[in-house]
Amino acid sequence: MSVTVAERNLRYAYMDHWRVDTDQGPLSQYTSVERFDAFLRQISAVGFEAIETFDFHLGVLKELFGSLEAARAFMRERGIDKVLSLFHAVMYDERASAPHVRATHDRMFGYARFIMESGKGLGVENFIVMPAGLYFDVEPVTDDKIRACAELWSRIGKMTLEEYGVRTCCHHEFFCGIRSEEELTKFYEWSDPRYVFFYCDTAQHTIAGVDPVGLYERLHDRCGGFHLKDTHHVDTTGDYRRRPDAEIMAPTTPRWFWEMGTPGGLVDFKALYAAMKRHGYKGWVAVEHDKADIGGSNYPESTAVAAWYIREVLDRVYA
Amino acid sequence: MNPPFPTTGGLRWSYAINCWKPGFMGFARVEEHERAFKTMSAAGFGAVELKAGSGRWDTLGRPENIVASYGSLENFRDTIGSWGMAAVSSVFLDPFQMSFEDLHFGLDPLNESQRSMLTDTAVLHSRALATLGGDWLVVRPVASFSKQGALSRDQLLRLGEAWTAIGKGTRTHGIGIALHVDALSALRSIEDLEVVLEALDPAVGGLALDTAELTMAGHDVAAFYEHFHDRIVHCHFKDALAVDELDEYRLPNAERALVQSGGSRGIRRWFAEMGTSQGHVDFERLARAMVRHHYRGWVVVESDGGPSPVAAGVMSNGWYVRQRLLPVLAPIT
Repeated sequence: MSVTVAERNLRYAYMDHWRVDTDQGPLSQYTSVERFDAFLRQISAVGFEAIETFDFHLGVLKELFGSLEAARAFMRERGIDKVLSLFHAVMYDERASAPHVRATHDRMFGYARFIMESGKGLGVENFIVMPAGLYFDVEPVTDDKIRACAELWSRIGKMTLEEYGVRTCCHHEFFCGIRSEEELTKFYEWSDPRYVFFYCDTAQHTIAGVDPVGLYERLHDRCGGFHLKDTHHVDTTGDYRRRPDAEIMAPTTPRWFWEMGTPGGLVDFKALYAAMKRHGYKGWVAVEHDKADIGGSNYPESTAVAAWYIREVLDRVYA
Repeated sequence: MNPPFPTTGGLRWSYAINCWKPGFMGFARVEEHERAFKTMSAAGFGAVELKAGSGRWDTLGRPENIVASYGSLENFRDTIGSWGMAAVSSVFLDPFQMSFEDLHFGLDPLNESQRSMLTDTAVLHSRALATLGGDWLVVRPVASFSKQGALSRDQLLRLGEAWTAIGKGTRTHGIGIALHVDALSALRSIEDLEVVLEALDPAVGGLALDTAELTMAGHDVAAFYEHFHDRIVHCHFKDALAVDELDEYRLPNAERALVQSGGSRGIRRWFAEMGTSQGHVDFERLARAMVRHHYRGWVVVESDGGPSPVAAGVMSNGWYVRQRLLPVLAPIT
């Protein structure tokens, strides 16, 4: 089925986990203009129109292109319109920055504003955050701690939206302090619906034992976007609270995340798209493959396979 | 997501499978094929050029191998169709490649005693290609210069006649012959090719223009196309990063000494995806010439000889076709 651009409800962005094989070994695509150019072309080739990136790439982009405006112009020449979202990369620490610790909120607020100021020129629409620290740093997860997180992101979300036109979107890693049905329900009930949006990462919720389709159904009016990725495993052994890192070092699996369309994938993407259609979701959808190179695969191929799945499977449900 | 490029009509786009399988081992399993075809499809390519091979590991290299993995040729066609490959455009056949199945170490069209077996091989692949809906058997027409040496006029004429005879066999299955001249070929000059074409019946086929191989051999491919446009029946598009300026195609075992080892200059990489800043091929100029002469046929994009991951080259080429070539080629697409 072919859908014209004018008819489309959905446009696609790529969350830019990536590596480039070079004579100097595997390197980030942000290590040279040429590598960044090749990355942009490859994702544009399969139909992506925007990227999402970590906020620590802002400085690199300025160094490569002189300014973020010049970086965006370079991207646009290659078919990539904007940096849709900045993923806030913060190593939460109770001494300086921990959403459940109110004493750190002023500092976190200031840092979020600094990112908003630093990111001007890229067309950013979303500020994606993990709304609580690592589970083992937050537990026991009490109502008061969830309320503290809700207060922080409501305050930051008001600032980002009203002053910068950027939505603060909460992205719940499976090892995040707000991960269960009950914790999620409380967080969205206690955060300001005008300023705190839900970013639906299909794999993370599935690993955490939460149905992402059901969650989207409940939070669709708060939904600011999606990270479409799959998983082959549900965390049934408490990996989410395992030190030092649940995502990379869990004994259950060396690879939690998979592109859409692989055998053994647990996420029901067609059901999600049916729900999106029911609720009239319009706008950007992002594809993410963090750690796609674990086990010998690679980012370009995973990305192409996911793009194929969107075009040949999901477009038939909702496009 | 982006729709595929046209696989019907005037100029049709295909992608060569060769980049996915550089050696005997690897890329044998059906699930590996599936990811490759989906990758090519996502990048815009809805047809594939297969490569004739040998050995049970080359599961797409011979018709019986395809049947062994997919049940039948028809099922293979339908299965890859469900992965986004609407057509098999062509099969590349290097007759000088040894064959485990046919018990030879390469077949030379200039060797009368090998003609019959070579025709049988060409017909074997053509019959299968016809079942798969393809058009062209793309062949390496003659040995490398380093093995064959310079060809006399008599040899050039006999070469054209040999491929005419073989092509009559493939034409019984509706498949034409496209002579693919590579950078090491004993066919070096425009004049050589003119003599071969003099003896090659246009009804059985013509030339395949490979942009990178001809550029590496010192040709200007846009001028080459202008000169031979009425005999060019098939195209391979990839870029060349260097030209064999020292005529090292003459080196013994030039395939290894020059192409794979880089020759005396230590060229690390000869071929590249289209659109890099280092490429020697002027694709837009070539495309304009193709529009002027109303090229009809397949353009098979290649990325063999590039670094891993393979998908990166395929996707980069897809971007270049969509963003740079389609606008130029629109009148004949």
